[in-house]
Parts: sequence; C-alpha cells; structure tokens
Amino acid sequence: MKNTSKIVNVMVPLVSVLLAFIIGCIIIAALGANPITALQALWKGAFGSVRNFGTTLSRATPLIFTGLCACFAYRCGVFNLGGEGQFIMGAVVCTVIGTQFNIEGLPAIILCLVAGTIAGGIWAMIPGVLKVYRGQNEMIISIMLNYVATLFMGVLFTDWMRDGSVPQTVAIPDASRLTRLFGLRATTAFVIAVVVGLAVYYFLFFTSKGFQLRAVGYNMTAAEFNGFAVKKYFLASFLVSGMIAGLGGSADILGTQFFLINGYASGYGFDGVSMALIGQLHPLATMLVAIFFAALRVGSTTMQAATGVPTSVSDIIQALVIVFTVAGLAMVKLPEFKALLNRIFSRKEVA
Amino acid sequence: MQEILRMEHITKRFGDMYANRDINFEVRRGEVHTLLGENGAGKSTLMNVLFGLYQPTEGSIYLNGNKVKIDSPAQAVKLGIGMVHQHFMLVEAMTVFENIILGDRNTKGVFIDRDARRKEILELSQQYGLDVEMDKPITEIAVGAQQRVEILKALYKGAELLVLDEPTAALTDIEVEGLFQIIKKLTAEGKSVIFISHKMREVLHISDRITILRAGESVCTLNREETTGEDLANLMIGRELVPSQYKKIEDAGDAVIKLTDVDYCKESKHNGLNGVSLSVGRGEIVGIAGVDGNGQSQLAQVVTGVITPDSGEVDMKGSRVAKFTPNGFIIEKVSHIPEDRNKMGLIGSMSVMDNIVLKTTELPEFSSGNGLYLKKKAIKEYAEQMQKKYDIRCASIEQETRNLSGGNQQKVILARELESDPDLLVAVHPTRGLDIGAARFVHDTMIAARDNGCGVLLISADFDEILEVSDRIIVMFEGEIMGEYSGKNPPINEISLAMAGK
Amino acid sequence: MEFVTNLILASVRMATPLIFLSLAELYSQRAGLVHIGLEGLAAIGSLTGFLVSHITGSPIVGVCAGAMAAILVNMIYAYATVTLCAEQIVYGMAINIFAPALASFIYRVYFGAGSELVQVPLMTNLSALLGINADSFIAKLFLEQTLMVYLAYGLVIFTAIYFSKTKSGLNYKAVGEYPRAAATLGINVIGVKYIASIICGALAGIGGAYLTTCYTTTYVDGNVAGRGFIALAAVIFGRWSAGGVLLACLFFGFCDALQIRLQVASFNVPYQFFQMIPYVATVVVLAIIGMKKAGPKSCGKPYRKEER
Repeated sequence: MKNTSKIVNVMVPLVSVLLAFIIGCIIIAALGANPITALQALWKGAFGSVRNFGTTLSRATPLIFTGLCACFAYRCGVFNLGGEGQFIMGAVVCTVIGTQFNIEGLPAIILCLVAGTIAGGIWAMIPGVLKVYRGQNEMIISIMLNYVATLFMGVLFTDWMRDGSVPQTVAIPDASRLTRLFGLRATTAFVIAVVVGLAVYYFLFFTSKGFQLRAVGYNMTAAEFNGFAVKKYFLASFLVSGMIAGLGGSADILGTQFFLINGYASGYGFDGVSMALIGQLHPLATMLVAIFFAALRVGSTTMQAATGVPTSVSDIIQALVIVFTVAGLAMVKLPEFKALLNRIFSRKEVA
Repeated sequence: MQEILRMEHITKRFGDMYANRDINFEVRRGEVHTLLGENGAGKSTLMNVLFGLYQPTEGSIYLNGNKVKIDSPAQAVKLGIGMVHQHFMLVEAMTVFENIILGDRNTKGVFIDRDARRKEILELSQQYGLDVEMDKPITEIAVGAQQRVEILKALYKGAELLVLDEPTAALTDIEVEGLFQIIKKLTAEGKSVIFISHKMREVLHISDRITILRAGESVCTLNREETTGEDLANLMIGRELVPSQYKKIEDAGDAVIKLTDVDYCKESKHNGLNGVSLSVGRGEIVGIAGVDGNGQSQLAQVVTGVITPDSGEVDMKGSRVAKFTPNGFIIEKVSHIPEDRNKMGLIGSMSVMDNIVLKTTELPEFSSGNGLYLKKKAIKEYAEQMQKKYDIRCASIEQETRNLSGGNQQKVILARELESDPDLLVAVHPTRGLDIGAARFVHDTMIAARDNGCGVLLISADFDEILEVSDRIIVMFEGEIMGEYSGKNPPINEISLAMAGK
Repeated sequence: MEFVTNLILASVRMATPLIFLSLAELYSQRAGLVHIGLEGLAAIGSLTGFLVSHITGSPIVGVCAGAMAAILVNMIYAYATVTLCAEQIVYGMAINIFAPALASFIYRVYFGAGSELVQVPLMTNLSALLGINADSFIAKLFLEQTLMVYLAYGLVIFTAIYFSKTKSGLNYKAVGEYPRAAATLGINVIGVKYIASIICGALAGIGGAYLTTCYTTTYVDGNVAGRGFIALAAVIFGRWSAGGVLLACLFFGFCDALQIRLQVASFNVPYQFFQMIPYVATVVVLAIIGMKKAGPKSCGKPYRKEER
C-alpha cells in the first residue's frame, strides 16, 4: 500500500508532463509547424551539446533557489509567496556591495553572498513577523513585498546607480564574478544551489529539527500540544526560506547576471512555487523540476529558430504541468480513486 | 397503530466494510422508536441512509406504505423526515431565526418576509413548548436551546418523522427532562420519533419500542415493557458483560500537581475556569465529571501548559510553575491524551512510527548529536516493539496515522505518552468513539499507570467511565468546581445533581 | 483645489477594477472557496477584453468576452477544488501561473512577437454618450464615468441586498459557513459552489477587461499588477461585507490615484517610490487590522458528499 502510493505520487507529475506535452504538440501543430521537428529542436537546444546543457544548468540555477525557498517554507506550513522579492533583495544588496564598495575578488564574493543571504532573510521576516504576531495572511503580504522589491530595484537601475544612458546598473567587476564550470555558461552558483538543495534535504529528513518542522507543517495544533514552539518554527522557516532566495539572488548576480535591469527576476517567485508543488515539496525533486523548466526555456529558443513556434509555448507547457499535477495529486487522494486502485491491484493478486 | 416508515433489507457498504447489513426497521405513527447500539454499530449510517446523505447499497424504504427513493436530504425533508444530528447543523454566524428559515422552499418570493415567517415560527414553538430567542446568534444560546432550534427547524420544514441522533449526549439531566417533555408532546400530536442512544436509563424511560443494532446488523426489536436494562446491554454487546471492577485507591501519594484558585476567562461559562482548586496525587485517578463545555478543555490545557491561567497558582511536584509552555510541562513528565486525537494528538500525514517518537527524536537512542542525525533503524525497531506492546493494528508502522481506526490511533498516542513513564497523565475523553474492547484497553492502561505511581487526571463527559475508574470524583459546572466525592461508593444522585449545577 | 478634485475623480476610477475583483473574491469566499488566483483570472480577462475589442471595435463586447474567458478558466479551478477537492490555495496559485502564461501566449501568437504597440479605443464616458458637457466637479464625478463604473457600484448595492435580504442569499451564505448543515437543509452545496465560481470568474474577468477597455489603450503582460491580491486584502479589510469591501476598494483606489498624481507632481524623488504606495498601504492596513478571525467558516476546506 505504501509502495503503491509512492508510485502514484511519482506517476502524477510524469503523466502531467506527458499530457502537457501532448497539448503543447497540438498547439504547435495548430500554429502550422511539425511537432516532432519542434520537439527535436527543443531537446537539442536544451541537451543537444555540453555547451547547451551548461546553458540549461545556468538557467536552472536561480530557479533552484526560488524552488527551494518555496519548498522549505511550505514544509513548515507557511505560504511564503515572496520568493521573488527576497531573491531581488538579495540581488540588490549584492549589486550595491559588489559595485560600490571598492572591493574585488574572493572577499567581495563572500561578502556579497553573505549580505545577499541576510537581505533575503530580512525581507522574508516582514511577512513572517506579521503572520506570527499579527495573525495576518502571509501570502498577500509577501506578494505585496514582491512588488515593493521590484520597484526598489527600479530605483537603483533608473536613478541611484544608473550606468550612463541605459537604464541598468553598473556591472559587477570581472574579478568578483563566479568562475564558470569547465568554460560553460554554468558557474559555481550552480554548485552552491545543489549544495543548498542537499542541505535542505538532509535537514528536513535526517535531523530532529527538520522532523519537527515537518510536523508543524502538517498539523500545527498537534505540534503545539506535543511541545514544539510553533511560532519559532514559523519565523525560522520564513527566515531560512528568505535566506535561500536571497543567496540565490546574489549568486545569480555574481554568476550570470552581473547588473540589475528592467524585468530581471520577473516570475522567478511563482516559478519557484510551481516547481516546489510539482516536486511535491521534496527538495531533490524540486531541483529536478527546476532543471526541466530551464530546459524548456533554453530549448524553446532553438525551437523558435528552427520552426518559428514562439518561445512562449514553453510557458504554456510549464503552466499546464502545474495545472495537471496539482489536480492529479488531489484526484489520487479521492476515496473513489483509492477504491479503484485497490480493485485493480487485488485483481492482479487474484490472477 | 399505523405504520409510517419501513426500511427493508438495508445494506450499506463502504469499500469492503459493511456499515449496515440487511437491516429491517419499522416505525409507527405516534411512537418513540429507539435505535440502540454501541459506537460503530451502524445507527448513524442507517439514519444517514434514511435522510438521503448516503445511498444504500441494497434495500428499499417505504413511507406510509409507498416505496420511495431518497437521494438527497432535500428529498427527505420533502417527504416529511426531519433530523437532529448529534453535532448540530446550525450556522453559528447566523441568528436563530435565520437558521430556522434556512433552505425554505415552502414560501414564494425572492425576499425574506420576516414578519410572516416570525409569526409562523412563534405559533409552532408555542404548540410544542419549544421556546427560543429568535434574534440571538447561535453562539450566544445554550446547548439545550440549540437543540430546541434544531427540532423547531425540522418541524418548520413539515417533519412528520423526527430522528434524534444521540440527543442527550451534551445535555444536563434537567435539560434531558425538558427534552423528554417535548418528545412526549410531539408524539401526542401524532409525530413519530426515532431516538438514537446508547444510554440504557434514557432508552427505557422514553421508548415505546427498541431496535438493537450490533456490528451493522439488527439483533431484534422489543417492546419496552418486555425488557430490562441488563437484557438490552447484553444484546447490544453480544455477550455477557462482566462489569469491570477496578480496585479504588483511597490514600494517594504527594500531590503531583496542585491548582489554587485558578481563573481563566472567568466570564465565559462554557470555555473558562472560575476559582478552580484541585490536586492530583501520585498513584490516584482523579475523575473530572461534567457535561461537555463546562471548562474541562481549559482545565486540561492549563495542566498541560497549553494555556496560561489569568490568575491563581499552579504547583508542580511542590514547586510553583512560572511559565506555561507545553514543552516545559513535558520536561516535567506530564503526558497528555488530548480530547481531539486527530487535531491535537497525532500528525495525521505522518507514519505510526514518526508519531510514536514525535517527542523523543532528540534522545540519544534515536539520534546522534542532539538530533543532528536521526537513527532511523533504531526508531523503526522501537516503533515495532511499541506496535506489539500496545497492540496497534496497522498494515505497517509506515502507514499514515490518519488511515487508522480511532482505537488504533488512541493506542499510538498511549504508546507515545505512557512509555515516557510520566508523573502526571492528563487524559481527556480517552475512550470517546472507541468500541468497548478498545475502551477497556485504554482503561487497563490507565490503571496500570496509576499502580506505577503516576497521577492521572481523567476528564470525561461519560459518567459511567468516571464512575468505573476514578478514585476521586470532582464535578465541574460552568467553570467552577461543584463538589468532590470519593470514588468508592460514590453518591450517584448527588453527583448528577452537581453536574446540572444544583 | 484641482489637485484634490482630480484626485477624487481618479480614486473612483482606480477603485472600479478593484471593486469587481473584490466582489469576485467575496462571492467565491461566501461559498467557501478562497481564491488567490484572481490575478490570473483578471489577466486572461484583460487580454480577451483587449483582443475582442480590437477585433470588433466595441469595448462593451470586449468586456463581455473577457468575462466569458475568465469564467472558462475558473471552471478549471472549480472542477479541481470542488470536484477533486484540491487544496484551494495551491490551485489558486496554479491558476495564477497558468492564466497569465496563456494570456501572454495568445497575445504573442495573435500580434506576433516584437510588433509595435497595438491600441484599442476606450469605452466612452456617460457624458459623451448623453452629449452633456460636464464642467462642475459634481457633474464630472457622476457623469464623466464609463458605464462600467455604474455597473460596479450597482453590483455593490445588489450584493449587499442579496446577502442580507433574500432567501437565496441566506442559503448561499450557509454554504460558505457550514456546508454539511446546508446540505441537510436540501441546499445543493456543490451547485452553489459552481455558481459561485461562475460569478467569481465573470466579475474577475470584467475587472481585468476594465484595465484594457476603460483604463489604458494597450495590453502588456503583468498589467493587473497585483490588483488580484489587493482585492483579497480588500475583502479581509472590508470584513466580508459588500459595503465594507467598497470602502476598502475606495481606499486602495485612492492610494493608486495618489501615487499617479504624486508622480506627475514629481518631487525629485524616483517615481518608483510613489508606485510603491498601494502595495505598502496594503501591508500596513493588514498589519493594523491584525488578528480578528472572521469570514466564512468553511473557507479553504473541501466538501465531500459521502464523507466517511
């Protein structure tokens, strides 16, 4: 029984991806292109060469961070939808320090990453504190703070730190940038992301505090009755998830982005949410989904060049995956579905 | 007497489980027909079938001799069936008046004609002696009054046959007497009543006929005159019930916990404590008797550190408690079987294993470095041991606890709470919703803990349970302590008066 | 003086889309469905409204089409949360991701990527419709508005009456408070929830379409700009009553109008700081009203018919 439910939980996202691709192909065909050629181009663009794969990993890096941010918070039962704002605040602080403080090289990198992490954590503590001490809806507040963070970033690149005539900030000096891995687009930022993912995984499933945090997330009343300090866990999960996003923002600036510009990081927060949900709040699965999302994005550029199908098809496929996965996960929990499953399996046993 | 309802060969299956199996049941006009049975005997299922909430797997229903298909509560209401559920179906955010007219289909028009409706309701309430305050919100009226609203609601919808599901569970004796007056008036006016209960005394008092259900099947139907309480009890359980005789302790040890003049939300009659002083000694069971909602929940939460009293003193093993946190009390070896095991006791989405070690993962047996690395193998072995010791029936210890039966869920909690060798055990409604076997297991476990020197505070609305295991009985009413009695030969009449606030 | 009158006029205009969205949320929550996907519904309504008024040349047809499109998308939400009992918050997020992606895709495909900005005519004011010249402040306030503004305020009055004076409104509320009780009274709980989703979709779509048919002449991705979430805050702030929601929307509308006026006035402060005003105001308002738990009791909880 345990095993069947595990299999079902893995099957749901896979079937959702399949369905999303089928619909994607129908759309591609409707646009007058050959779906097979389009998918081939998509695959080639994302994984066709080591170079392309490197690009995919580099695109996946910020997504992994926002995905882990969402994953960590939801595991504790708090809906931090502010990953984007926290990511941006990390990027903002990193850019300020990296370009204005007259330091370069490794000390600059370390300072930037640490400061960015702290900035993300502080930004996440605003909804955290308001939820815990004022009983307020953390979702609305964290989303409002996304807009505030985006606008604040706008102040920097249009005004305070504007680089000449173009609306963008000055760039991080070469010496303070993260090294590329084997000369690919992916940098050590990707390594940091994987390390953070593994750390989150270890914490949640192999430590007592992580165990307790999950208990709080599942049932906060029971957790409180059993002696866990629920409020502390809430605050801590906001702080840590914000720190993950903030670290992501600063690593992305030092790794691939280098400067702030209009539209930067837009959508990363909600992407993170959907990756965490498709990955069913498992940190390792979330990372895989992030790579999948990145592959779709990188590959869709090649697809557009090869077949003329607009890149936003990949956004639709992504959106369909989340729509199907969440519905599918709800469906398999219905008693009717469980009964059906039991019938199928018991029949097999009889045979 | 004329037959109003006949249910023939009703079977209701949930998956592989039969909740009802081939039940025949018949009600005559103007009679009170009782459905008697243990928890889980199938009484509520049968009534939900009658009320259109469940569809029977097999069988048919006849009303006034005509075969009917009841596929929704709306249909049942239309056919003149009214139901007062055990958990009242009242919308708390609305007034009494609004609750009564809710779902009204008999009147025309889009808008609510308040004056006309009010007049109709008043007439009905006078006819049956059901006085209610129409403009009060539901939250502001007492439980007995809420029940009157439910009955009035059913009558207003034109009910000829009224189902009362465990109507006395939450009432004081005085209120029960009032309810019986109302039932008599109803039957005198030609209405029929199906009375669902497992309380022998009441059943014998109010019924004309009694149908006994056991394990989803009907055992027999008897006239009240032909039977006695003992017969009914034996039929209900299906074997001779040997009344358990636990030895009562009269000389308890030092006080584990002592409350002096504790207040909590004193003004609230149902959810507060007013000047409560009591103590629980080592090796005794102190039973708190009283109707639900007289401050028992708050008492339990004070002595487990969940809430902080407004004033008064709490002493734990002789030293004053300064800070109330659940964790602080757990460190002082206080164990808690909370009133709502799903909401407060268990993490439903976690496994049996995880729930057993919920509080103890930081111990060196289960993790190294104060919880930095969980020893999953040791946890698993321990949980398997506990599964055997407490007879937890589950497919595997990795099964989610929300899928267990109530009795097995309670055993998971017992395994967690009692293995820590507590000094004080606070048990709130520990056998609620359990079958007799599981309830007996819980009682035996509590007695064993007592004999081991643990102080037990048992809070229960089940008077029989209190009488059976308590060494000392304390009665609570509206947040106050009404009296204290010895558990050995307790003065039952005096206690039930105290429970009603007299 | 002109600053103040303009501010008031703009507040009324800016409050209008919020009123539609908040009422959408109100109807949804009164049936026990918390809907955080309004942002997405408004996005699809906005795009469809824009597209159809571009094709037909009629903003009113555009608004109707926007409502229809959002209803269709919201049926996915309704099926998942009501029939499949998916978690409402999670599914609302899914809609927030899905619907804007769809809107943006349709725009790209229809107009081609990188094309120049397409513009559509805006809905005419009532004064122009009636051929009246509105000069005075009062005349401007009442006449220099589109039909949509009247529709919004009319809906507020209708909603207030519906929930407090009608039988059907009482039954509707019961579904959100205690669905099992409603079911025992013969109210079709599932049906009411679906109807609520249709109403919610329609209103959210209209709110979105307002942005492209009455407010600006173009569609850009993200033009809803968090109004879907501000509407959620407005429902909480307005204590789940139509009147309260109206006041909350006027307040948020005022904040929005104020930031535009201040931007124009310019104080040598980066304009983004003014743009933050509505968002910061929302956070501050929520922080001030604090912890009173109110609102329909069953909100967020799935309802299963044969529960066991």
